[in-house]
Amino acid sequence: MKLVFEKRDPVPMSYRVVSPVLAVLLAFLLGTVFLTASGFSPMKVYAAMFSGAFGDWYGISETIVTAIPLMLCGLAVALSAKMLLWNVGAEGQFHMGAWGAAAVALSMPDAPAWQVLPLMVLAGVAAGAAWALLAAVPRAFVGVSETITTLMLNYVAIYWIEYLVHGPWRDPKSLNFPLSAPFSDAARLPMFGYTRIHWGLIFAIVAAIAIDLALGRTKWGYEVKIIGESPRAARYAGMSIERNIIITMAISGALAGLAGMAEVSAIAGRMTRQLSPGYGYSAIIVAWLGKLNPYGVLLVSILFGGLLVGGYSAQFLGVSAASVNMLQGLMLFCVLATEALGRYKVRLVPTGAKGASQGGHGEGEAEANG
Amino acid sequence: MSRSKKILLVVAVLLALVGAARLNSQSYAAEDKFLVGWIYIGHVGDAGWTYAHDLGRQYVEQQLPWVESIYVEAVPETSDAERMMTELARKGCKIIFATSFGYMDYVQNVARRFPNVLFEHCSGFKTADNAATYFGRIYEPRYLSGIVAGSMTKSNVIGYVAAFPIPEVVRGINAFTLGVRSVNPNAKVKVVWTNTWYDPATEKEAAKAALDAGADVIAQHQDTPAPMQAAAERGKLGVSYNSVMTQFAPDTIVTGPIWNWGPYYVERIKAAKEGTWKTGDYWGGMADGIVDLAPFGPMVPENVKKLVEAKKADIVAGKFHPFTGPINDNTGKLRVPEGTIMTDAELLSFDWFVEGVEGTLPN
Amino acid sequence: MGTADYAVEIRNVTKRFPGVIASNGVNFAVRRGEIHALLGENGAGKSTLMNMLTGLIRPDSGDILIDGKKVALRSPADAISLGIGMVHQHFRLVETFTVAENITLGMPTPRFRLDMDPIEQEVQEFSAKFGLEVNPKARIWQLSVGEQQRVEIIKMLYRGVNVLILDEPTAVLTPMEVKELFQVMRRMAASGKTLIFISHKLDEVMEISDRVTVLRAGKDVFTAETASTTKRELASKMVGRELKPPPPRPRGTFGAPVLELEGLQALGDRGEVALKGLSLSVLAGEIHGIAGVAGNGQRELAECITGLRKTLAGRVVINGKDYTNRHPRAIIEAGVSHIPEDRLGMGLAANLPLTENAIMKNYREDEMGPGAVIDRKRATQWTRDLVSRFQVKAPTLRTPVRLLSGGNSQKLLLARETTHDHNVVVAVHPTRGLDVGATEAVHQVLLAQRSAGIGILLISEDLEELLSLCDRISVIFEGRIVGSVERENVDIDEIGMMMAGIDPAGEGAGPVEAGV
Repeated sequence: MKLVFEKRDPVPMSYRVVSPVLAVLLAFLLGTVFLTASGFSPMKVYAAMFSGAFGDWYGISETIVTAIPLMLCGLAVALSAKMLLWNVGAEGQFHMGAWGAAAVALSMPDAPAWQVLPLMVLAGVAAGAAWALLAAVPRAFVGVSETITTLMLNYVAIYWIEYLVHGPWRDPKSLNFPLSAPFSDAARLPMFGYTRIHWGLIFAIVAAIAIDLALGRTKWGYEVKIIGESPRAARYAGMSIERNIIITMAISGALAGLAGMAEVSAIAGRMTRQLSPGYGYSAIIVAWLGKLNPYGVLLVSILFGGLLVGGYSAQFLGVSAASVNMLQGLMLFCVLATEALGRYKVRLVPTGAKGASQGGHGEGEAEANG
Repeated sequence: MSRSKKILLVVAVLLALVGAARLNSQSYAAEDKFLVGWIYIGHVGDAGWTYAHDLGRQYVEQQLPWVESIYVEAVPETSDAERMMTELARKGCKIIFATSFGYMDYVQNVARRFPNVLFEHCSGFKTADNAATYFGRIYEPRYLSGIVAGSMTKSNVIGYVAAFPIPEVVRGINAFTLGVRSVNPNAKVKVVWTNTWYDPATEKEAAKAALDAGADVIAQHQDTPAPMQAAAERGKLGVSYNSVMTQFAPDTIVTGPIWNWGPYYVERIKAAKEGTWKTGDYWGGMADGIVDLAPFGPMVPENVKKLVEAKKADIVAGKFHPFTGPINDNTGKLRVPEGTIMTDAELLSFDWFVEGVEGTLPN
Repeated sequence: MGTADYAVEIRNVTKRFPGVIASNGVNFAVRRGEIHALLGENGAGKSTLMNMLTGLIRPDSGDILIDGKKVALRSPADAISLGIGMVHQHFRLVETFTVAENITLGMPTPRFRLDMDPIEQEVQEFSAKFGLEVNPKARIWQLSVGEQQRVEIIKMLYRGVNVLILDEPTAVLTPMEVKELFQVMRRMAASGKTLIFISHKLDEVMEISDRVTVLRAGKDVFTAETASTTKRELASKMVGRELKPPPPRPRGTFGAPVLELEGLQALGDRGEVALKGLSLSVLAGEIHGIAGVAGNGQRELAECITGLRKTLAGRVVINGKDYTNRHPRAIIEAGVSHIPEDRLGMGLAANLPLTENAIMKNYREDEMGPGAVIDRKRATQWTRDLVSRFQVKAPTLRTPVRLLSGGNSQKLLLARETTHDHNVVVAVHPTRGLDVGATEAVHQVLLAQRSAGIGILLISEDLEELLSLCDRISVIFEGRIVGSVERENVDIDEIGMMMAGIDPAGEGAGPVEAGV
């Protein structure tokens, strides 16, 4: 007997509904084993996590605050992935976007909000886009893998910020600590009510709608779709793949840059070393789980934000941060695994019987090409 | 994502909301307890910075039976920090200790929103009516540990594994170097930056780099014992930091500056309970016991111990300040004239190295 | 029971695939220790036959006998245990492994611990015995194509194979390597191994084989001692005499040339020179057929015209203007439609719905929406029109095209390519793999295009199709046009010989172009 994996094509609708439920159940099951073994009551821990993230308006608002950078970075990753471009550089583009915005804010400390904020958005978007283009141009014209270049550029961006806050941007009033001067109030993106939910949420929602419309309703979006499905067909249809790589990566970088702008302007209020606990990397998972759909990304960002926010709440029950991370990892793993396995049917078959059916498949092609 | 999946998720979220909202409504602390919160940058098991603070928290629980304490660990200096302090305040904490410099702006934000909760921010410089800062003059025991290192080095090269070029760290390096050179004017202190507070692998690599460059004593301004272990592997000596790290390298560690936050915490919590708490910027030294020197290792000769004990007595008595001129910087320029003592403001914004330090600072 | 003289005997074997009979009562027998050539055009049934011999597929009816005994082959492992192995055109080697590791890969023993020394020793012995020189410690990626082929051969010998099938082994080799391979083959035959040599290169068949069998349309049509036959005879057997000359039809009204190619040169995917100075022209209102055995530059020809492959030398002139190496989009806009060989891989985006596929060539134009916008309503309407006019059967317009039958996806492709503004159609194997009905539909469309004054370049391996549709047929061989005939004076024999690389003018002479 041996295990055989057969591709489901198409994945049945019923499975698509069942799979996330299955994933969550599986995650809870494994988590229960893990928590019980560590001496905690799983139900209490889950309840604490849920209530921390969604239990009251404060929790929900904070979940959204955490979700905002995930949304924008997730949209960035998803958009490029539509064209089979793996932008793992959202983290770096995020930092460069924050840098661009901070540069504007610091250089015009007396300007009114209506001047400084639009310029900050512009600078953040431009810096993020430029950072992505550093990877996009070699990819488009020489075929250098963007996965590697975008990843490497993350480090460059983060060290660039480190250099600035330790050096030229260091605020003498901060006793030589690695902080820039605080932004003027005018350079702070407004928040809503008593929450910390800020304009970044509007940016993300508008971006998602714009992306959805652009992909579905414009000639550019159509080209992105075809290139993503079949670069050969796209070339055959006369599309310029190079041009689209450049455009898509620039927009992708701009979105991540916008996330950085919003975070530094609304949340941090000055340039610091620690702006992101890895939003740009989490965004890759968010984009994937959101099925690269803009609205899916928004929704998954909120759930992901809830997972992050709720994780801290579990600590109040005495669960260590490391155990929480492990639990979060377990949940993501289950979701991703169920997602991937959903595309296959697993069967046990007696050894030897598989040759015939497989051969039949191969034969048609062999005959056609041979 | 398919439509039905979306609906499903939304329903699940709503159900969770309803259920969880009820769970959350109950108050956290028992009726008669005084709730105190801590927020940590690292893990309580890091054997370093966070561990030292958590020892302080445990000390409080021991000393003040009417206190109930809660903490959150591994909270980065991002948007998360503000939320976790808010959570602590919302859970009913009367006083909250924020134990990392990068929490500074967030402490101010939360303090504004919770005027009836008291905040204590470690190592920062922003205060408010309900937000004080606190720190310790760790440079005092660092100076003393420098005396031990300077007496015991044979190669006259001492490695110093340091996290970030910020005033706190620079001050420590300088105090240490002054201690070294007070007994051994030929010794040099080589600084290796790690750009991280907490990363055992990087810290170890940095220590090895210093050892490769000829160092036979390793000092550290890091939060794990990894540099000490690197020294132990090569059979060299080490000056630890944060807490008593002897167990990690018993034959290596000569001594090290340690934090003793407990008494300060007890005092402030008592004041908070009694209504006598006042804001301020506390910076206590060895005289207060908030900083101290770890016990000497067995390899430290008696005469060195005696010398250190004598200097310690002078410091505690206020007769000696490590940063007393003349002090040259490491380009040879006289920075502090003979007989002058550096002011606290100068110490708090240190951005140059004293003579004997080999290393660079960003400008 | 069979004749024990035969190492392999196939008796009256039939294999059907949906819509096609791949083997139709084939008889084929190979004597022990001989080199037996199997000749046939693409689609003649060679691969099906060999896949049955190696256990990849099972015949619907008929018998396979090995050493005179009836066998049931269920898997390649079964075939190997009976001593039958195959060296495929595309090697199945792990690039980062050594030669010796590749040779043991997939062997049942040893299971856990691998001691490479004795294996390397054995490989060395095989090398010496048959002249298969290769270093057992070398990694595959370090080897030339010829050496990799030797590894494949050793792999089979190491498994104790007595009957070795070589599937077009010379296609990937340099002339020097071909010589070496032939020496190895002779040595193996001399030591009692049986070899089946699949090829459509007549020169090689004449040179290396003892006997030869010709397959055509799923049947064995000819078997003889190689020495007693001629290239000419083999060529005519391959192409077949049953083909009737095309029925007369009124001569079309041809216009000016819409497509002119002058001395095209281009490389193939493996970096070999695939086009070696090819010239031809297509007139408005003409169907110009390109006949030839696959792999002689057909694909490269189509791709050079449509801008998908770089032209190294020569010119592509469309409607009188030079379009050499222009962007595919410029060529589309110049009026060239393209029905590519790889329908689902290039001509259509297989995972996308009909609508997305239907607008692939005209989405830029205002008819699909003003400016940067695509009007989904117009796109849907457009698709609906195409689907109904060309009778494409699809569940909905949102169905991914990969779920359509071959005929329906081809109809959609054809609909798209013949409906927008164009005056040239480049069609490559447009009916390959289609059933009779769909084939007929495709032919009707092409003829209608011709009547509308469109110039059509029809590249096909199906001579019957070419004969019935074309106004002119040119034969491509090794990257050149080697001859051209008008519909009125077609001589099927002559085309067959040109396809096989024989100059019809010179009796039995060598290939039209010797060497490279």
